[in-house]
Amino acid sequence: MIDLHSSRIIVAGGSLSGQSAVTELIDRGFAGEIVWITGEAGGVYSKPALSKEFMQGRVSLESILLPAIDPCGANLKIIDGSRGLSLDAQARHLQLDDGRYFDFDGLLICTGASARMPDFALNIDNVLPLRTLEHALAIQQAVRTKPRVLILGGGLIGCEMAASLRGLDLDVTVVEMQSSLLERPFGGAFGDYFEQLQRRNGVTVLTGQSLARLQTANGKVTGAELADSRLLPADLVLVGAGSIPETAWLAGSGLALENGVVCDDTLCSSVPGIFAAGDVASWLNPLYGVRMRVEHWTNASAQGRAAATNLLAALCGDAPGIKSFGDIPYFWSDQFGLKIQMVGWHPGHDRVVVDQPEGAPGPVITYFRGDRLVAAAGVNASRAVMTFRRQIEAEARRTVLEPADA
Amino acid sequence: MKIMVDRTKCDGNGVCMGIAPEVFDVDDELYLHVADPIPDDPELRARVRQAVTSCPILALKPVEK
Ligand SMILES: Cc1cc2nc3c(=O)[nH]c(=O)nc-3n(C[C@H](O)[C@H](O)[C@H](O)COP(=O)(O)OP(=O)(O)OC[C@H]3O[C@@H](n4cnc5c(N)ncnc54)[C@H](O)[C@@H]3O)c2cc1C
Ligand code: SF4
Repeated sequence: MIDLHSSRIIVAGGSLSGQSAVTELIDRGFAGEIVWITGEAGGVYSKPALSKEFMQGRVSLESILLPAIDPCGANLKIIDGSRGLSLDAQARHLQLDDGRYFDFDGLLICTGASARMPDFALNIDNVLPLRTLEHALAIQQAVRTKPRVLILGGGLIGCEMAASLRGLDLDVTVVEMQSSLLERPFGGAFGDYFEQLQRRNGVTVLTGQSLARLQTANGKVTGAELADSRLLPADLVLVGAGSIPETAWLAGSGLALENGVVCDDTLCSSVPGIFAAGDVASWLNPLYGVRMRVEHWTNASAQGRAAATNLLAALCGDAPGIKSFGDIPYFWSDQFGLKIQMVGWHPGHDRVVVDQPEGAPGPVITYFRGDRLVAAAGVNASRAVMTFRRQIEAEARRTVLEPADA
Repeated sequence: MKIMVDRTKCDGNGVCMGIAPEVFDVDDELYLHVADPIPDDPELRARVRQAVTSCPILALKPVEK
């Protein structure tokens, strides 16, 4: 056990999971020093807003900023904008990209994820990903001239960008490799519902198609060539090709890394005293008995708090205080004024039940594995989905599943 | 503790309800109802605070009394 007064905890990552971890350390009255390395300057903002109301320019930057942390007398040092460059997990030593370095007693890794960019999309003007505020501002700037927009990827971010930009009356095309839109988040259960939704609202949707290369003139994009050689003109290409956990800076640190920071069910990494939370954490979810990396907003906040609580318990030598973190994942998406919601974890489901409530804009779908309800999703059906959430959680606490083959 | 909802922002996505269903309830019209007063239970208060930071639209504000 160590003297908490003279100890130091570093929180790396300046978005929701990092902010939640710092808040929890303060709330719990941690008496040592908290060093918060944010990676980007200017405060924490709502990422979900970036592809929704902020992309349409309907709301100001101020309105998407999270309230600043109130240190309440805690010893909090914020190093705004610097990033962790390397870590020695055994020596408990963290090097920053600004030349500074810190030793620590506890570390919370909350460095999230970054946008995946295919090689052919790199270093071309008007080809932009969407992950950060900086990206969002660049897109806002680029759409002022009313470009023809090509969106690469029909996942959550791709479909939301398409909806937001149609709202600005732009010409929008979405290209998706899979046979339907939003295949991964909803496990294909919605069939062509999302495709019809996009089409009805004027988006050109090309599913089962992949992009071979981009065409450029003077370093600017002019269009794209599909694998079947078809040419699509475009003045702006937005990339929604998924994300990769931000672990490059942890290479050689001694931490186990595989699709993120490998954590146990308490969010502890392979090295004691080092925990992870949010999009970067691959942890064993006891409620499903499987390892998952959840890339959703509410998970980042819940894990940030849980990881901080467990780290404090570990530093105090309070073994029973280190709790397993179980979560029923949840996310939502806004498209064309509809609220699409999903609770639970559907991979490994073997049966779905599709219900079409009368007068509702879309189906409510429940996912089962054997007899157990594992996930539910709906369109403008908050109440139904949230009721299922309670049922999913209750069933999960009763039965832990065997790892899914999926 | 009391919670203020900015009605011009809240779109009824139910994130807060997922975290603290005892306090937040979104109805079929996507209108959010908030319990008032909030029961004085430390565990519940912690979850309510978590709901406040988790609201992606930042529509909730706690007013401590
Ligand atoms: C456009 C968009 C829309 C989304 N919409 C939704 C939605 O509708 N619903 C939903 O549930 N989820 C949504 N998400 C997902 C959600 O935003 C993420 O799950 C959440 O932001 C994860 O938070 P995080 O703190 O773990 O990581 P991130 O938000 O990725 O933040 C990581 C932080 O770490 C910093 N960092 C990176 N590397 C380092 C380093 N080496 N050292 C120090 N700091 C570093 C970064 O600068 C950043 O501040 C959306 C995401 C995006 C991009
Ligand atoms: S999380 Fe925020 S926006 Fe969603 S229902 Fe609650 S208050 Fe409204």
